[in-house]
Amino acid sequence: MLSLSSVTKRYGDVTALDRLSVTVPDDAYVSLLGASGSGKTTLLRVIAGFEEPDGGTVTHDGRRLDGVAPHRRGIGFVFQNFALFPHLSVADNVAFGLRYREDNPVRDAAELKKRVADVIHLVGLEGLETRKVTAISGGQRQRVALARTLVTEPRLVLLDEPLGALDANLRERMCDELRAIRERLKVTFLHVTGSETEALLMGDTVAVLSAGSIAQIGPASSLFSAPRSADVARHLNAYNVLSGRVRKGGFEGAGGRFPLPGELPVRDGAPVEIALRFDRISVAPAGKGAAGGASIPARFIASEFTGASVLSFFRLDDGTLLQVVAHLSGPAPRSFTKDELYDLSFNPQDVIPFTERAA
Amino acid sequence: MMEIAGEQMRSAAPAMGEDNGVSPAERRERQERRTALMLISPGVLWMTLFMVLPMIMVVYVSFWTQTTFTVEPELTTDSWVRFLTSSTYLASTWTTVRIWGIVLLSTLLIGYPVALFIGLMVRNQTLQTALLVICVIPFWTSFLIRVIAWRPMLGTEGAINMILMKLGIIDTPLTSLLFSEFAVLIGMTQIYCVFMVGPITFMLSRIEPSIIEAARDLGAGFGRIFFKVILPLSLPGVIVGAIFVSVMVLGEFATAASLSGRKVNLLGNIIVSQVGSLKWAFASVAGVILTAIIAVVITALLRVVNLRKEM
Repeated sequence: MLSLSSVTKRYGDVTALDRLSVTVPDDAYVSLLGASGSGKTTLLRVIAGFEEPDGGTVTHDGRRLDGVAPHRRGIGFVFQNFALFPHLSVADNVAFGLRYREDNPVRDAAELKKRVADVIHLVGLEGLETRKVTAISGGQRQRVALARTLVTEPRLVLLDEPLGALDANLRERMCDELRAIRERLKVTFLHVTGSETEALLMGDTVAVLSAGSIAQIGPASSLFSAPRSADVARHLNAYNVLSGRVRKGGFEGAGGRFPLPGELPVRDGAPVEIALRFDRISVAPAGKGAAGGASIPARFIASEFTGASVLSFFRLDDGTLLQVVAHLSGPAPRSFTKDELYDLSFNPQDVIPFTERAA
Repeated sequence: MMEIAGEQMRSAAPAMGEDNGVSPAERRERQERRTALMLISPGVLWMTLFMVLPMIMVVYVSFWTQTTFTVEPELTTDSWVRFLTSSTYLASTWTTVRIWGIVLLSTLLIGYPVALFIGLMVRNQTLQTALLVICVIPFWTSFLIRVIAWRPMLGTEGAINMILMKLGIIDTPLTSLLFSEFAVLIGMTQIYCVFMVGPITFMLSRIEPSIIEAARDLGAGFGRIFFKVILPLSLPGVIVGAIFVSVMVLGEFATAASLSGRKVNLLGNIIVSQVGSLKWAFASVAGVILTAIIAVVITALLRVVNLRKEM
């Protein structure tokens, strides 16, 4: 188990990690979602030991890690750019850790060969052992980087945007393989990414990193359906976030007024932010919004066809942008006219209000 | 069947509007060949006129007949026999090789750590360039001034002797500091070190910092990382630096003449003095031997690493 307790890291005036605390369980796939600049790479570098924290502690299986040199931490790190040794062959890259590590290097040539062959088989690189790493494809380099780390048998593997350098269909295949490999080895993967789909797809547990600390951590499905803050909702890239004020237990803001579910623990007039899922909104011509629900008038801007669904953009009077997803498996969505007014209808029960951090 | 198809293709080609049966690909290839030829011809012409022909001439002259003041184009091996049987000249050939070896080693031992600092520790490009420029500052003064400046440093009443005597380490001034082989080694190392630092720094600064971090993450300590990652990746720089230093040190004569008080005679010094006394044939022999040594050294260095593949 890896646990970080109020870890702080500053670069000059910039605070990259702000009293961050998180616990990563054993034998789990944890994905860490964060926008660029949210401190996610810094967090991995602090855990791996390439940077030391300015405050707080890092412990792994009860052993204090901060202050320990990176080559003595026993944590695997898969770099975004793979960082393979360009002068070595695939097999020599994979063997590097076993051969040259300071603690307990493998000196027996037969054992070395067997362990390298095993892990090369595990990641599916057979036949490429003698190739130079400059003479193989991006996906194969990714596998070498992974094999090179896994062969040293770390209990915890940090992956820094491991799929970022791969093209789309390769990325999907690697996703499945990463999960399968992890399950077979029973180690913990901490996978950092800026893509919400990748984070939700890969992680048994998903943590959202925002402004240098963990905004929410939980199972992927519950995190997606119940974000605890507007920040988390924004990161998931599946929610419209509107801000306004509480009026008589309901919402009043840019989109008009509508009731809010449940009892709000705040007085009238307090600021509130609400999140509304892209796919929980239906669009009707102005004045024809579904009766009984809430509806917001907005002007249509543009649509994006993404294959299985259509993403439409609408603008409220105050300039706020709303997105609506219509899945093409349902009834065919009508096409909309630019700058025309439409009613965006939804069930008020689907609205998630946030009162804490709204200001 | 295949042949018939090929025949049809060929007969169809002119009908497709290609002039003289030349395909666009062929025309492009010819154009590129013409451009390449135009780019290299000035250099080839220059080198042929002013390097290849003179070198052939030197080899030719080394077989001419030398009398006291003239040299006749009658072929003889006299000069070669004289050089190869004289212990003085063979000794100075050995001195040249020995001094080359020591200077090469000392520039590497002093230059590599400097390059490590500039290339790996300093990650700011502007600062890197500034530091390299500082290394070049000695070249802003003339060669003569630089060499003469060593005299007040190394002389019997020079700075080093004064400091050592003040510190009580020695009682009488060391006379071997100046006008000795030691002085020549110090002077050459100082002057040529920068040619070692430059190429190594260039190679080191191209190493991704994450590669070194990856090696650490895999459990390797500093020594292993240096010998298994940093050194192999910077080896092309070491070789290029070694070639620079070798070519310059092997052809040296001025530093040896002015810092050794003519005690150290390199092949370069022999050529200078023989030319001075109009012994053209003999100077040519020394020149051919020196060129051969340099060629062997460079070939050997290039064997160590395949530069074409690494750069």
